[in-house]
Amino acid sequence: MLFYCRQIVLATFFLLGFLPSAAQNLGSLEVSGRVKIEGKQEKLSRKRFYLLRGGLAENNALVERLKAAEITSRDCYYTGISASPQFVCWLQAGNCESPYCRDISKEDIAKVPEFQVAYNKGLTRYGKKPLIAQDWLTTNLLPNLVSGFYLQRKSLANMLLGNNKPLQSSMTDSVTVKAVFIDIELSTAGKKTETFTVSNILPLEFGAKSYLWACEIEIGGDKPAIMRLQVPENNKPVKNCEVIVRDLKVCKTGSCDRT
Amino acid sequence: MIGRKIHIRLLLVGAVAALFAASFLTESNAQKRRDDFLHATPQHKKINCNSCHKIPTGNWVAARGYPDVADYPGHSSCISCHRAEFFSGNRPAICAGCHTNPGPRGAARFRFPVATKSQDFETKFPHNVHQDLIASNPRRGRVAVAHFVNASYADGVSRTDFASGDTISPMRRQVYSADDPKVEFNNCSICHQTPDVIPKFATRALPSMQPLTSAAANTVTPVAGFFKNSPNSHASCFSCHFQNAKPLSTDCAGCHSPAAPYKESSTVQRYSLKFNHLDKDHVNKDCTTCHVRITQNADIKFMKDADVPILTCSTSSCHGSDITGEIAKRNASIAEKQAAFQCVFCHTPEIGRFPIPPSHR
Repeated sequence: MLFYCRQIVLATFFLLGFLPSAAQNLGSLEVSGRVKIEGKQEKLSRKRFYLLRGGLAENNALVERLKAAEITSRDCYYTGISASPQFVCWLQAGNCESPYCRDISKEDIAKVPEFQVAYNKGLTRYGKKPLIAQDWLTTNLLPNLVSGFYLQRKSLANMLLGNNKPLQSSMTDSVTVKAVFIDIELSTAGKKTETFTVSNILPLEFGAKSYLWACEIEIGGDKPAIMRLQVPENNKPVKNCEVIVRDLKVCKTGSCDRT
Repeated sequence: MIGRKIHIRLLLVGAVAALFAASFLTESNAQKRRDDFLHATPQHKKINCNSCHKIPTGNWVAARGYPDVADYPGHSSCISCHRAEFFSGNRPAICAGCHTNPGPRGAARFRFPVATKSQDFETKFPHNVHQDLIASNPRRGRVAVAHFVNASYADGVSRTDFASGDTISPMRRQVYSADDPKVEFNNCSICHQTPDVIPKFATRALPSMQPLTSAAANTVTPVAGFFKNSPNSHASCFSCHFQNAKPLSTDCAGCHSPAAPYKESSTVQRYSLKFNHLDKDHVNKDCTTCHVRITQNADIKFMKDADVPILTCSTSSCHGSDITGEIAKRNASIAEKQAAFQCVFCHTPEIGRFPIPPSHR
């Protein structure tokens, strides 16, 4: 009898192993990066957003850190490391955060002292080949000019996130200006939806201000959730959102020739 | 007498044939030796990569056109451990690891790296970091994103023929013409471009599923514009990482990690062999409009199968109704116990005859 019982228990476990697991409840979310800022429709193209489980209350510690964070703007970072005004102007001209942002032309090399030095180093190092010296110019720039701002932002993001581990992150594209989160595992526990928080964590610079969103959204499994970012107007708070708008510290970069 | 002559002739023919065959045998042994080198032996694993591989190698100008590891390590890298093998007979087997004609006078070497050899390393590539650092700003105005001409690097054509006075580099085929404002997005085209020739392609296998019916005739033939290529050399990496930006060109382990030997397939496998990247309504979209997972991918080897989820098409105003319509037709055909409708709007019949996967519901 004991033998048969044992066999039945073993067979049950064996069969359980083959049973399909309960179907996962997956959701998706679209964050639209078209935002009206100071009366003007802006596109938050190519900006990263993070998805965190729980609403604003659950992520309160993170929101408080975001509110208290010291932010260094792009211009202040580069002037802080003594980049030339021409270098900062070159970045500003393409709304760039690093020299990887766009191609460095011969005219740029002639105008920007850092580029000139790097180009000349490249000529020496790469067998006097002007093409390689130009195309590989960033390999001869000082590292803090190349990736210093990115590394600083990355470490700031890590510091701000702390123990709040995002489920996913996604960037807005430059055409539809949407960040898409898919295959979001939902634990709705009998409810139709689950609450999540979406934040850009790192403030985005527009004009003389920086903008940071932490907004909560309900995501269900039946259809994609859609979030449209907003900026408070007339001091009216945005529903389900903490929008942190700060004046950027002005760091003099000199006047840029826009021709 | 005549019979004897025939015998001699036959013997001579046989001898020549044997010599001819032996020449192949030697080649085959050489090839075996060449392909047998393993980075993963316990002894080799103890050695730092750049104690053998020099960067750049002396032949970089002719071999690549840009500073690269373009040749085998020198004798000095091997001889301290393999001295005895170097002095073993007239045609030491170890020479066949690199040289086409093994022996003291055989200087010519196989093309480096050996194309037939299995890969010992896999490559790590974090798309997310590159998206953040390189692609965080949209291109503006008429200036298109620069991209490499990979084929020119791969075929070893020297770039010395480019006149230094020119303003547009062939290495970075920038498009400045207002009449031809080709828009390329987010620097993806630094590494991924439309190939000049159609690559080998195949339908992706669905091993865990059974087709509902036999495939109907396929009416679409992919062309080169359907595909994008990927880097197959250091060219696109070294333009930023040669020095200063980590991982550096001297830090092989920064990008390459040891793997069980494998042969890389050059066949592009797709679930949808009908998608044309160059279609007028696709070419104006940002890559990440559809490749939505790529901006968070920290390592290429963890990329999901279909890196373009159907959601990007099925929820769009362009194809939403087409896809919904096809799914409805499939369901109707099954409900009416007819031959299953084949979903051919996106798929070739080879895929379109399979059951609708959960991702499409």
